Amino acid sequence: MIKILKNVYQKIIPERQLLQSDLLIGLTLAVVVLPQAIAFSTTLAGVPPYFGIYAAIWGVLITALFNSSKVFHGGPNSTLSAVLGVTLLPVAPQFGETYMGYALTLLLMAGLIQLLFWFIRPLSRLLDLMSEAVINGMIFGIGLFLILKSLTAFAGLPINTEIEWPLIIAWHNFLALLEIGNMHAIEVGLVTLISAIIVRAFDNTRNWGILIGIVAGTLYSQYLNSKYGLENTLIEQTADFSAIGFVFPSIPIFTQDALPDIITIMPGAVTLALLGLFQTVAAMRRMNRKMGQLVDSREGISADAISNCALPFLSSLPTCASFNRMWLMQSMGSSSRWVACSSAVFLLIFVLLFSDLIAIIPIPAMAAVIMIVGANMMRWEDVRPHFSNWPEASVFLTAFLSVHIFGLFGAVIVASSLAMLHFKWQKLHPSVFLDDNGVLSIRGSLYYGSLPYIESIVKNSLLENETLKLDITATTYIDPEGQRWLHEIESSNLITIIR
Amino acid sequence: MNHSNLKQFMIKMIPVGILITILSALYIIATVKHIERSTLRLKPVSLTAGCKTKLDKYQLKSGKYYISPYVTKQTGKQIRRAGYRPEDIRAIQRGCNIIDDLLGQDAKHISERWNSRRYIRGTHTSCDHCHQSIGDKQNATGQRLVGSLSLAASWVKADAYDRFTGLLLPYELRQMQCFINSSNGFKPNISDDIIRDITAYTRFLSVAVNLRTQHRYPEQGIDEIPVSATAKRGDDYVRGASLFRLKCANCHGARGFGTVINGRVIYPAVGGPNAFNRQSRNNFRFVSTILPGFICRNMPLGQEGTLSNQDCRDIAYFISNMPRPAGDKAGPLAALWQQMMMAILPRLVALVNQDEEAKPTSNLKTNENKTQVDQ
Repeated sequence: MIKILKNVYQKIIPERQLLQSDLLIGLTLAVVVLPQAIAFSTTLAGVPPYFGIYAAIWGVLITALFNSSKVFHGGPNSTLSAVLGVTLLPVAPQFGETYMGYALTLLLMAGLIQLLFWFIRPLSRLLDLMSEAVINGMIFGIGLFLILKSLTAFAGLPINTEIEWPLIIAWHNFLALLEIGNMHAIEVGLVTLISAIIVRAFDNTRNWGILIGIVAGTLYSQYLNSKYGLENTLIEQTADFSAIGFVFPSIPIFTQDALPDIITIMPGAVTLALLGLFQTVAAMRRMNRKMGQLVDSREGISADAISNCALPFLSSLPTCASFNRMWLMQSMGSSSRWVACSSAVFLLIFVLLFSDLIAIIPIPAMAAVIMIVGANMMRWEDVRPHFSNWPEASVFLTAFLSVHIFGLFGAVIVASSLAMLHFKWQKLHPSVFLDDNGVLSIRGSLYYGSLPYIESIVKNSLLENETLKLDITATTYIDPEGQRWLHEIESSNLITIIR
Repeated sequence: MNHSNLKQFMIKMIPVGILITILSALYIIATVKHIERSTLRLKPVSLTAGCKTKLDKYQLKSGKYYISPYVTKQTGKQIRRAGYRPEDIRAIQRGCNIIDDLLGQDAKHISERWNSRRYIRGTHTSCDHCHQSIGDKQNATGQRLVGSLSLAASWVKADAYDRFTGLLLPYELRQMQCFINSSNGFKPNISDDIIRDITAYTRFLSVAVNLRTQHRYPEQGIDEIPVSATAKRGDDYVRGASLFRLKCANCHGARGFGTVINGRVIYPAVGGPNAFNRQSRNNFRFVSTILPGFICRNMPLGQEGTLSNQDCRDIAYFISNMPRPAGDKAGPLAALWQQMMMAILPRLVALVNQDEEAKPTSNLKTNENKTQVDQ
């Protein structure tokens, strides 16, 4: 019996060294997700910070438990939070009771739509129409977005909430950092950034980089505050979470009075659901290749759907796969999904027991951490292969730029359309070649689209050869129009078909 | 550590070193920029002619107390309010300059208007096009005019719920709407000096005319003209076009592109790429009561109050059909489309006009022939 229990224990709990490493990664994830959770809730979604915190606890736990990937998990997401804010802006005043009720309703509707994608397999297969170039372009774009978005917080300035023309706003933010930024805040951000960069440069301490950066930034900010006084340094600190409990039950609004508003926000729910799923499927595919694991992307869809159906009852933001946190897990060498779960537990412990300590972490230090996470997503070695093929390079660049012009959803649509167009173009031009024996071989599809191209080659070949053999053994697909054409040319007695 | 290990380590440290050097360089640039900014804010302010008159009238000067001559004249009492420090005076002066001359046409150097041009698109916008008399319009006897978009009155109602969006808007955020839509520009950071200076000036105005916070004054906003204030004949585009030709085209141009002489905006554009955008509340199609109200209260210059409510609604309806920037919320494609059409269509119209003028029978002469019109 003891032997069996020991075996089970050894199977569930990784080796001691691995466990230490996993716990460190979980701790880092909890630290990284904290500023994101607060920033996404208050600045993008227009809800109190505990929404983001609960998404980072319960959203992470649910999504991590409902799939078998080593790194896949959900959590607060900038795009989904922004969609929430934009959808509900005309409906109710932000941070109000009605607004929060509608936020939960919107989330529940999105969750139910995602459930449909899980139940109806062809729908979920449609989400696979995103190539690696599209996904990498988006990841690169999101990485840059995170860095640019953090500029104001890094400089101790209020966040510029204008969401249109993000690149222009980012440039304005950069100039604002140089011209009107709070120099004390900039110094705290730089201390965090430089400490983290130096610590991460050494293989032995790489994984401690972010934590040490945060500690260094916090200590420096405490030093500045003690020297000049908080009223003079004006360094913003993390919100006080002392009122947060283990769970905060909530109920979405579904009253008769609210029905017209609910109908108004329906398109927002569809956008929210699709945006979440696109990111989840893209992330699942990308992480599968990175980790050498094969997990069906439908597992990610189910995890997202279940999570987003449950979270409206737990006062939480919507969740979907987080590229940056999964990237961090992978780069730090995470060995199991318990890492994600441990990050949720760490965060819960943080907010329950150490809220006073969290409260003094300066916001510029958190912004510096988000910058590191963003830079971590922009790896040249991941995208270099795309530049050996120009159509793929164009798809990558389109996805990357579209993130900053059309947003994430726009990037998916524009770049996937370009990838599809390229694929269709290839299908329109199958490989057709004539050998020395007068055999014309067709490799590819013979269908209404490619027929004019094939017909012209056949016609030209007949000018040089009296008779011709048409080899269609390597033809992958022949549609009815192609079959009729084959029948016609066969009956002309000039061409022999090799089937 | 042997020699090869040390070499490898040094190679590995090169990118880290470059990164730290870049960050240090940025820190130095930021320090220099901050010093430049402090120097600029300490410099005496060269006032525009309008601001000099306005601030002299209110006797703005530093001291422990401030007593407004306007209030003394109106009430017969000397009411003492908290005074201003020299830096407050300079902020108020700079704010007044920005309202009067946002584009810095009267400035020796654009830095005198801080970064105002960074946040506006087009070449026509100035705050006092809408907030006339530098945000403090009065009649000859010093009575503040109803619905004159007074900045003083808007300051005292700051931090109130916006009646269109239901959002609680601080005064700084209210200015954003002007920057984004009326100026068809971008949001400055809420901490930007341009916002601080404008706020300082408007706050001073409210003190100078003795307004009380959270009170609603008739000069705040526009005295709007809803359909119910007309005979309910409906808004007439053709009549609006005719009235526009008669009453407005002389200054704003036949196509509403405004009048610019020697690079100075004399009359601002009400249509075209330099005008307010489609999402501005000035746009009749977006909010149908504001522009008619503005026209009735302030236009035509020198003949204010001569147009009927119906006239103003018709003109506003006609103006709203002029091409103009899309407004950012419409998305980048709509913005691009509008800009493209505004770049192409005027040229096509100019070509047609040239053909018309080439005809011997044509006597067509527009205001734009006499003045250089900015397109």
